[in-house]
Amino acid sequence: MLGAQMGTRSEQRENQIVRKRKMPRWLLWSLVTIVLWGAWGLVSKVASGGMDAYVNQLLYTAGLAPLLVFVAWTVHRHSTQEKGEHRSMGVFWAFLTGILGGVGNLFFFQAMVAGGKASVVAPVTALFPMITVLLALIFLNERLGRVQWLGLALAFVAIYLLSA
Amino acid sequence: MHLWLGFAVAALVLWGVTGVTQKLSTNRISSERSFLWFCWAMVALSVAVLVVARPHWGLGTLAVACSMAGGALNGLGAWTSFRALESGGKASIVISLISLYPLLTVVLAVLLLGERLTWTQTAGAVIAIAAAILLSIEAPQNAEM
Repeated sequence: MLGAQMGTRSEQRENQIVRKRKMPRWLLWSLVTIVLWGAWGLVSKVASGGMDAYVNQLLYTAGLAPLLVFVAWTVHRHSTQEKGEHRSMGVFWAFLTGILGGVGNLFFFQAMVAGGKASVVAPVTALFPMITVLLALIFLNERLGRVQWLGLALAFVAIYLLSA
Repeated sequence: MHLWLGFAVAALVLWGVTGVTQKLSTNRISSERSFLWFCWAMVALSVAVLVVARPHWGLGTLAVACSMAGGALNGLGAWTSFRALESGGKASIVISLISLYPLLTVVLAVLLLGERLTWTQTAGAVIAIAAAILLSIEAPQNAEM
C-alpha cells in the first residue's frame, strides 16, 4: 500500500516535471509580464499618495536605470548590422516612443493623484490598443478584422461604464 | 467628466500612439536597441521635468520605494514581453494574454488598498479587459474587412 502510494507520488512528481518542461517559454515570459505590469499598477497608486506626478516620473526613471545599463551592455555586446538611414530613423522612432510613453506616464500618475482608483485607471488606460488600431488603420494601411471592430466597440462601452 | 478620467484618457491616447511609433522603430532596428533608446528618452524627459516643472519634494519612504519599484516593474515587464515574443509566442496570443495585466491590478487594489467598485465600474473593468484582448488579436489575412 505504502509502496503503491510512493509509486503514485513519484509518478505524480514525474508528471509535474514533464508538465513543467512542456510549458512553453513564451507562456512563462507572458505570465511574468502580467505579474510585473499588474504589480506596477498597484505600486503607482501607492506612490501617487505621497508625491506629485513629476517626482513620480523622476523616480520611475531612476528605477528603470539598472535595466537601461543592462540593455546598453547587451546592445553593445551584440552590436547588430543595422546601418545608415534605417538605423537613424529607427532610433528616432524609438526615442519618440519613449517621449510619448513618458508623457503618457505623467498623465497616468496624474490620474492616480487626482483621485482615480487603481482598479479603474488601470483598465481604462489598458484600452490604448484602440488608438494604435485606429492609427494603424489610417497611417499604416492595416486592415481590421471583425474581432478588432468588436473590441473597438466594447472599448467605448467600457469607458462609458467606468466613468459613470 | 471627472478630472482623473481626462488624465487617464490622455495617457491612453499617448500610449496608443506609441504602438505605431514602436512598430516603425522595430521595423528598422532591433527590439533591444529600440528599448535602449526608449529608456534614453525617459531619461531626457526626466531631465526636462527636473528643469521645467520644478517638482515638489516632500517624500515618504514608502512612496519613494513604490515609485522606483514602478519604474523597475514596468521596464522589466516590457523586457519580458519582448522575450515572450522572441521565444516563439505568436504576437496575437502573447499581446492578448499580457493585456490581462489590469485584472491583477484590480484584484490587488481591492485586496490590498481596500478599493471598492460599483457594479457599473466592475462591468466596465471586465469589458475594458475583454476589449483590450480583442483589440490585440491580429486579423487573419483572409478575414480582413
